[in-house]
Amino acid sequence: MLWIVFAFLALLAAGFLLLPLRSFGSKVSDRTDGSVSILSDQLQEVDADAERGLISPEEARAARIEIKRRILSQERKGQHAEPARQGRPASIVVWATALAVPVAAGALYLQLGSPDMPSIAFAEREAERNQQVEIAGLTERLLERLQSDPGGGPTEGWMLLGQTYMRMGRYRDAVSAMENVTGRPDASSAILSQYAEALIAADDGIVTPAAREAIGRARDMDPSNPAATYYEAIALDQAGDGAEAHDLLIARLDAANGPAPWMEAFVAQANSIGETLGREPVSLAAFAPTAGGDTPGPTAGDVAAAADMSEDDRAAFIRSMVERLAERLRDDPDDLDGWMRLGNAYRVLGEAAKAREAYLTANRLAETLPPDDPRAQEIRQAMSELPG
Amino acid sequence: MIPEIGQFALALALAIALVQSVLPILGASRGDLVWMRSARTSALAQLLFIGIAFAALMRSFMVSDFTVANVVENSHSLKPMLFKIAGTWGSHEGSLLLWVLILAAFGAGVALLGTNIPDALKARTLSVQAWISTGFLSFLLLTSNPFERVFPPPPDGNDLNPLLQDVGLAMHPPLLYFGYVGFSIVFSFAVAALLEGRVDAAWARWVRPWTLAAWMSLTAGIALGSWWAYYELGWGGWWFWDPVENVSFMPWLLGTALLHSAIVTEKRDAFKSWTILLAILTFSLSLLGTFIVRSGLLTSVHAFAVDPERGLYILGLLGLSIGGSLALYAWRAPSMEGGGLFAPISREGGLLINNLLLVVATGTVLVGTLYPLFTEALADQKISVGPPFFNASFIPIMLPLLAIMAVGPLLSWKRADLKGVFQRLRFVALMSGLAALAVWYLTEGGPALAYLSIAIATWLLLATLREWATRIRLFDVPFAQAVRRARNLPRAAHGMTLAHAGLAVAVFGFVGSSAWKSEKIVFVQSGAVTEIAGFDVRFDGVQRVQGPNYVADRGTLVVTRDGAPVTTLYPERRFYPVAQSTTTESAIRSTLAGDLYASLAEPAAEGAAQSGAWTLRILYEPLVNFIWIGAALLVLGGGLSLSDRRLRVGAPRRATIPKPQATPAE
Repeated sequence: MLWIVFAFLALLAAGFLLLPLRSFGSKVSDRTDGSVSILSDQLQEVDADAERGLISPEEARAARIEIKRRILSQERKGQHAEPARQGRPASIVVWATALAVPVAAGALYLQLGSPDMPSIAFAEREAERNQQVEIAGLTERLLERLQSDPGGGPTEGWMLLGQTYMRMGRYRDAVSAMENVTGRPDASSAILSQYAEALIAADDGIVTPAAREAIGRARDMDPSNPAATYYEAIALDQAGDGAEAHDLLIARLDAANGPAPWMEAFVAQANSIGETLGREPVSLAAFAPTAGGDTPGPTAGDVAAAADMSEDDRAAFIRSMVERLAERLRDDPDDLDGWMRLGNAYRVLGEAAKAREAYLTANRLAETLPPDDPRAQEIRQAMSELPG
Repeated sequence: MIPEIGQFALALALAIALVQSVLPILGASRGDLVWMRSARTSALAQLLFIGIAFAALMRSFMVSDFTVANVVENSHSLKPMLFKIAGTWGSHEGSLLLWVLILAAFGAGVALLGTNIPDALKARTLSVQAWISTGFLSFLLLTSNPFERVFPPPPDGNDLNPLLQDVGLAMHPPLLYFGYVGFSIVFSFAVAALLEGRVDAAWARWVRPWTLAAWMSLTAGIALGSWWAYYELGWGGWWFWDPVENVSFMPWLLGTALLHSAIVTEKRDAFKSWTILLAILTFSLSLLGTFIVRSGLLTSVHAFAVDPERGLYILGLLGLSIGGSLALYAWRAPSMEGGGLFAPISREGGLLINNLLLVVATGTVLVGTLYPLFTEALADQKISVGPPFFNASFIPIMLPLLAIMAVGPLLSWKRADLKGVFQRLRFVALMSGLAALAVWYLTEGGPALAYLSIAIATWLLLATLREWATRIRLFDVPFAQAVRRARNLPRAAHGMTLAHAGLAVAVFGFVGSSAWKSEKIVFVQSGAVTEIAGFDVRFDGVQRVQGPNYVADRGTLVVTRDGAPVTTLYPERRFYPVAQSTTTESAIRSTLAGDLYASLAEPAAEGAAQSGAWTLRILYEPLVNFIWIGAALLVLGGGLSLSDRRLRVGAPRRATIPKPQATPAE
């Protein structure tokens, strides 16, 4: 649809540019003629004014003489325009511009535009707002249940509440939810690093002493905790110790076995700190040679095909891609990343039940993962976000 | 989809502007008619596509489409619809889009309405217009894209600035831009004339309506802006010599000079090179205004230096268009032949003085506006040039201008009889002196300059009316005949009378409201009575009231005069919770004689609101409404003149024939 409108606009532009071709053979209006006609109009005006008695006959006479003198001088100069020059070369240029304008505009548009992005009016986002209200209601109820629990509420419950607050951008609430459990004996390294993250977010990215303490405790328990390591580096950098921060990030990257999603953020942070220190930038590939995924995704051809489709066709196409993925997973059920992708795809398509099923499978597979693998966390998070 | 259509339409407009920059002007020099005529259709196409883009942006604002970054930054779903629409031009990007839209509208206007303009001149003019268009469209697309997208869209928009939720302000930028940008077409005509090497009466006739249209809307825009400041800001002032005001005032001053000098070119074939220069300078000042306001230079020179991309781009455009056109002027203007000769005492001479004074006044404002920017940039010193500077330097230039303005229309073309004119104005002079005396008697003192100003404003008003009366021979001939003569008078003549009288009326307002303003700032408890300008104002406490999207503290002020009730005023302080900000809503009792103006300032101290103690600002501003009445007359006069389809002819007077009964020229 969008491309049809664009094509129409482009045609319209080209049409406007071709219109002047109609004036082939007409006469150029001449500058001298124009001046003379204005001056003779002035003469008539003088006559009319004299008749109405607005100027005296004397004045009228003087004015007429002056205007006539001007007319004469115009005629004498007589730079009459040459007869219009027109012909094939001129019209070829006009045709060329009519062609070039849509092409140039199209090229510029491809640089600037986002043709695939839908426009969504505020009124059409009722469902989204309802969902937010619903989530807010659910968190409210969860909070009440946890508070009324005589045993202080389960640790996972408080952490789930805190994470939900984090996603809603209510960082202060997240901090107070998590605070309930950070002192407990079962507070793990992951819990403490999440708590530190909430504290830092609540303070607009500044690592406060309280956050620093939480980071320290998290690292004491598990020195390899990526989140804690990351925030320790941020803290060091903010304290003015960029070099140490950089070393810490690189050391953790070196120690990683296999690719992991957190590595990208590490590399970006290390390079941003490294730039001020004048150190060579590092690349993700240096630490995770197999990063990039070996599971086949849609080919470039598929993507190009999708871009040319109508909304309905595109939805059908995506659905067929998803079904292909689901089929492949039936043959290869141990592909954790594949199940996560499938769950995400169903979630986007709005099929909550199927999405849950896929994530549940992924969750079972994730149980065998090392505890610091963020994918387990990602799955839990995705499941908590599913409606119903 | 809609924003993307806007984006594509804008890209098309830029491509068309590029073609229009080159093809017609080449056609004009080669004598190729098809190429020349392409200016017409390209100008219309440009307007169409920029219009589509503008409509797309406006639609995004109206439905609160938060996938458009500009809407997120500058709107909110809770804004009333009118202000959602006004949000379209509230931002940097949107206002520039409006800028180019108006630019294209003036180009298309010439393409469509200028049917009597010769092909070559029209082609060159529209090409020059397209150069400006290309510069600003590329600026818009490359540095300030209004259709930048965000996904996923944030829950709601960020902006709910309550101060901007005012109808006056919503309409202010479009009007101001109409004037600002309108001078672009006059500039284009001037550059085209230089390229062609020909300026004459016909050229001036073709340019006249465009100059008038631009001048009128600039006048209306400035007046509306000052009216808004007066009602909304709560300080009771109507002009602050603020840089944002000055940059719109300077093109107005020069545009006024241009308007008058173009008359001489049209009627008498003189002042040609001067008119061209004024056309270039007026638009240059409009560009300078755009640059100063849009580059962020005003907030701080250093803020500009930190993120200079946008500012430098406009600065480049500014240098290119001003430098280029002035260089062209220096090259071509000397070859322009002089026109009709005139004696120093003549209508031409009067208009020359008018022009010189207006240019000097513009220079004064320019220095006062730019000087602080220079000292901050070069010496790292923040100084502010405020009203004292402008009052001391600007007013002494304007008073002689007003005095001469009264005489000018009575002078005849080519050579005039000054003694005869003064003889006719004897009565007017006497009345002016009496007016100043009467004001002196009525007021309890004031600056001498104020009495002088009153005398001069009266002089201008009565002389203008006198001139009009002479023209229709009011009192000389039977009334019915005078009415017939008035009907025969060109509309431009009525327009001039109205505009000049309007300025005189406005001067009464300027002087009255500044020289005899009474102001009191009092700390009041409920029941306290304040006396101001003969009024007794009783403060009856403050109530909390709930508005549609704000809560307000509303004060009640009972106003009496000599015990008789006059009115009750309800000034408010409004608090907008979403925007977390407070505005002042002043309460005004408006009469022709003057405004009683009350606003509620913050509670004097912490907890003072509970004890019922408030700071109250009460002003009495005599004659202040004359300012806006005068401005309306100026615009009306311009409109009358614009509607005049007739030609202007300057009938010179023969020196050899003495006239016992002087009849005004024209």
